[in-house]
Amino acid sequence: MSIEVTGLNKKFGDFVALDDVNVTIPTGQLTALLGPSGGGKSTLLRIIAGLEKGDTGTVNIEGVNATNLPAQKRNVGFVFQHYAVFKHMTVAKNVAFGLEIRKRPKDEIAHRVDELLKLVHLSQFAHRLPSQLSGGQRQRMALARALAVEPSVLLLDEPFGALDAKVRKELRDWLRRLHDDVHVTTVFVTHDQEEAMEVADEIVVINEGRVEQVGTPDQLYDEPANDFVMSFLGEVTHLGGVSLRPHDIDLETQPLLAGAVEGSVSRMVRIGFEVRLHVLTVDGDEVSVIITRTHARSLGLEEGSTVYLTPAAGATVIPRMAAVG
Amino acid sequence: MADTLVHEVAEPAAPVEKPRRAPRVRKTPVTYLMRFIVTAYLFFLVAWPVSLVVTHTFADGFDSIRSLLDDADMVVALQLSAYVAVWSVIINTLFGVGISLLLVRYEFPGKRILNSLLDIPLSVSPVVVGLALVLVYGGRNGWFGPTLAGWGFQIIFSTPGIVMATTFVALPLMIREIVPVLEEIGIEQEQAAESLGASGLQRFWRITLPSIKWGIVYGVVLTLARSLGEFGAVKVVSGNVLGQTRTATLAVEEKYLNFDPQGAYATAFLLAMVSVACIVVVAIIRPKNHP
Repeated sequence: MSIEVTGLNKKFGDFVALDDVNVTIPTGQLTALLGPSGGGKSTLLRIIAGLEKGDTGTVNIEGVNATNLPAQKRNVGFVFQHYAVFKHMTVAKNVAFGLEIRKRPKDEIAHRVDELLKLVHLSQFAHRLPSQLSGGQRQRMALARALAVEPSVLLLDEPFGALDAKVRKELRDWLRRLHDDVHVTTVFVTHDQEEAMEVADEIVVINEGRVEQVGTPDQLYDEPANDFVMSFLGEVTHLGGVSLRPHDIDLETQPLLAGAVEGSVSRMVRIGFEVRLHVLTVDGDEVSVIITRTHARSLGLEEGSTVYLTPAAGATVIPRMAAVG
Repeated sequence: MADTLVHEVAEPAAPVEKPRRAPRVRKTPVTYLMRFIVTAYLFFLVAWPVSLVVTHTFADGFDSIRSLLDDADMVVALQLSAYVAVWSVIINTLFGVGISLLLVRYEFPGKRILNSLLDIPLSVSPVVVGLALVLVYGGRNGWFGPTLAGWGFQIIFSTPGIVMATTFVALPLMIREIVPVLEEIGIEQEQAAESLGASGLQRFWRITLPSIKWGIVYGVVLTLARSLGEFGAVKVVSGNVLGQTRTATLAVEEKYLNFDPQGAYATAFLLAMVSVACIVVVAIIRPKNHP
């Protein structure tokens, strides 16, 4: 196991950033720390990197107790949301920085920088200053700089957060391919569940300083540990005593199944092939249901129709918790 | 680490920064009126008086400058001024960088008090600064002076006192140049360097110092100009001993009062030229994209 965090606590004044966090991050995988802003995921990443210090708890990196090691001795690569490029150095010098600090021979540095710039497709920009690069290019340069020192783990703090949507999506795909190629243990922080589901091998969901669940994207989506995880990964509605996805509800105009909940359609919105319904049940709940346009038409639904709702067979269903809604 | 799987990321080519043309401003009578007011204001306040110093200096050709440099006491005065200014620049640069880092990068109790203390040299009259130094370091009655005199150090009426007074009045200039630059660059570059294995000293030399370089250069120019021109505080602490503790600015006053305006103009001209030269040199060598 590459990174082991045990019993980590961190407070900023009265604010609890991390509350007894225990996480194990496997070697060679791409792991996402996913959660809402202010949930503590960046703090956890910075503590792993040594840029911040936990109040209590330990951090092990590759079997070495790194809790009290300064960042410069941890051999981690760190990529910042706003790139943190060395503005006064050329692209090549930026990438060479870690190697020069390690006093490697000059020709070895030149060779390695060359190789890395090729890897991130910036060879032709080697002698430019960072100010002459676009945001996406700067972030690729920062990634090459972090990889140059052959870190035991690569940590990325919202690496694509400052980029526009199109570049973000491209870099996301590119990072996944790069990781398949380089295989360095990588942890990245994101608040975008789509980004995490698409890129990561494993996701750690963090909320209010606590780890809510750890698992593969499929596990999290199919077997969410609680209401929070379920609602953070996609739309959730409540039917009877359970939470489930709006598209996992069977809707009939006749009470065919035992336990079906009766209600009436209060609102209907059509978006392309799907129809979103708000159903007011006799229990007083408002349930949202998504069905296909064809299905809605075949049932002859309109606002005010009486319908009967049941959870679909095979749906992800978890008991409803009062606290989260 | 092969270069096989990744394929080109489609992204627009790097934008080469184009020189942006200033937007055209419509010129109205008000524009011309405002230009006239500003020009006239600067002319009567700065340009005319300074140009008169120059013209008076060279009223008899180079005679006044030559006679100034033939006077051994004047040469000592100019050397002393240069010596004091250089020490003041060195001390203020070292402490200025240190205090600026402390103010920007660290939180500690009393930070706001320190911050306002640093403005005192700018807000208090230099004469007060001189008197305060005499009160502490005066050889006979000073609070600390007699002890130092006992060890053989004379501060007041001697070069160390002049350096201290000059350093004191020029203290905030360096800090006020560096602090905004440090605040602007933030700490992420240093943290990145740290995670790449750089020690504190390496981070300072390779990242922080190059980033604040131009702040320091401006600070040096301002400190040098201010130190050369300091009069009030030096007058109090120097004792004005001819050929020993008389600086160039003190000589200007003395010559002027002793009915030697020509000598006063020539000395003033030399002092002004050094400062102007510094500013011109910096304007020439600084990179174009730097404010």
